Amino acid sequence: MKNLLVSAALVLGSLVLASVHAYAENCEFKMSDMNWPSATLMANVDKFILEEGYGCKVELVLGATTATFVTMNEKSEPHVAPELWTNSVAEPLEKAMEEGRLFSANIGPITELGEGWWVTPETLKRHPEFKTVLDILERPDLFPAKEDPSKGEFIGCPAGWGCQLSNQSLFIAFEMEKKGWVLIDPGSKAGLDGSMSKAAQRGDNWLGYYWAPTSLIGKYNMKLMDFGVPFAGSENWDSCVAKGPESCTDPKPSAWTKSIVQTVVTSEIITMPNVMEYFGKRIFPGPIMNSMLVYMEDNQSQGLDGAIEFLEKHPEIWTNWVSVEAAKKVKKAL
Amino acid sequence: MLEFFKEFPEMSRVDLRDFKNSIDFAFRSFSRNYGEGIESFFDPVLWFLIWLEKLLLATPWPIIMLVVAGLCYLGARSWKLSFGSILTFALIGYLGMWEDTMSTIALISVATLLCISIGMPLGIWMARSDRVQALITPVLDVMQTIPIFVYLLPVLMLLGIGKVPGLIAVCVYAMPPMVRLTNLGIRLVDKDILEAADAFGADKKQRLFGVQIPLALPNIFAGVNQTIMMALAMVVIASMIGVRGLGIPVLQAIQNQYLALGLMNGLAIVALAIIFDRVLQRYGKRLQKHRIGSKND
Repeated sequence: MKNLLVSAALVLGSLVLASVHAYAENCEFKMSDMNWPSATLMANVDKFILEEGYGCKVELVLGATTATFVTMNEKSEPHVAPELWTNSVAEPLEKAMEEGRLFSANIGPITELGEGWWVTPETLKRHPEFKTVLDILERPDLFPAKEDPSKGEFIGCPAGWGCQLSNQSLFIAFEMEKKGWVLIDPGSKAGLDGSMSKAAQRGDNWLGYYWAPTSLIGKYNMKLMDFGVPFAGSENWDSCVAKGPESCTDPKPSAWTKSIVQTVVTSEIITMPNVMEYFGKRIFPGPIMNSMLVYMEDNQSQGLDGAIEFLEKHPEIWTNWVSVEAAKKVKKAL
Repeated sequence: MLEFFKEFPEMSRVDLRDFKNSIDFAFRSFSRNYGEGIESFFDPVLWFLIWLEKLLLATPWPIIMLVVAGLCYLGARSWKLSFGSILTFALIGYLGMWEDTMSTIALISVATLLCISIGMPLGIWMARSDRVQALITPVLDVMQTIPIFVYLLPVLMLLGIGKVPGLIAVCVYAMPPMVRLTNLGIRLVDKDILEAADAFGADKKQRLFGVQIPLALPNIFAGVNQTIMMALAMVVIASMIGVRGLGIPVLQAIQNQYLALGLMNGLAIVALAIIFDRVLQRYGKRLQKHRIGSKND
């Protein structure tokens, strides 16, 4: 009996020891630091909190969406992609999830993100009756085109981008030509940015395509318009709207397809309950994310500077993501 | 003390940031206050460009081809060139690039005209005064070397996207050779010839138009050639700020690696450049023959 007790204690003790040991040993992984501002901010916030609050060791690895996904899928490294836009890798990701190689730790780490049609805040202030895109489409006279002021101007997507085709299709689907609109190709991101910035700075009316989270959206407080119609199914979107008017001539009006952003992790991370719990709770509200991007751009700061600014300015948000104890440790480290 | 030599004593980060932000802010308020005024200043150019583009697009294609051939013959007095240009345009149209080509022609002809009509007087002015030359030369250096989007960004903020900013982008880049070569050509005119002109009692105007410009024509036309080539090379950049034309499909091709699309539209730009240039060069040669001939009489 005594022996049994001793051995049980030993076994238990060694189990506890082993798990402590494993925890300290295992909480060391690589995280993808993607090359756009919101992703690099997120990676740096994660790294700071996990290292200071939970004693992990996180190494950041630079990479873009496709490259990161491919190496995660094939080599299981890096172990975490904090902000993976999964639309472009939907099929292989689904397969990897089915096979238990990759897991989603958070299916919406940033709220209010995605693509769509935006207007300047002044437009809505002057015209509170604009509730949806459909309301705006009735008033092309408020958005006079530079080259033909009798028409309304809708700024689409730069030549050659995937969204160019979707915008062309929606332009047809909403019968915008009949309603007196022209679709303007801004030519490049610089052209699109310039067009939106000019209107926002002067307080002019502007209707065009953009996406969030981005610093420009935050800087000018641009407003995403509801389309006024529901998403008309992925059949309509994937095999018609996204293919463009040359391949599909009868697109149905539809809200923009939802961009899916996830925090994707490899099977190794699944074994770290603390880390998984943190990732699950870690959700950035869209406006806060945009304002952080404005801060980073204004100060031309790197991801780490942005992360520290976020942790200092918005404890009301991130303290909800972590345990009380970890929050104390992170605050101390700041 | 050693630190001072090791690290360059740079402005503190905060000051530097404030410095940058104050410039941005100053420009923003300038754009807010004067943007509309500046925009309407350029309106006549915009109307003309739109009018020309619409005219070219509305004219039936056979008439455009006839006009092109006629202009070629008038300018170059060469059936070969006229025939070649008809063939080129037919091919462009057949390959589905007609409308983009018309838009590009509208932009490029206005840009070239603008560059020549501003650049040539500027070059003449430069040639007559060393002080003006010392002043303008660095400006031309800036125009030719400054990365395009550095000055396009403020232009976009002031004027938005579209034809006028596109025209400005093209002209800033394409005008300097016109100015430089006009200046050079006039400065290279033999001093003895000028003395002779003075001896015959030529006044300033006669000296300029009768002697200096005719003798500088080879250089001036080299300037015209460079201006046209550079203007057409800028078509793609102009499309990056929303100018319709052959640049848009090129951008599309670059973005998506459409080899054939890029090649076709790129070659259409080249073909336009060659036609424009050959006609003007032949015209220049005829002009010189005539002048030199009449002087020999």
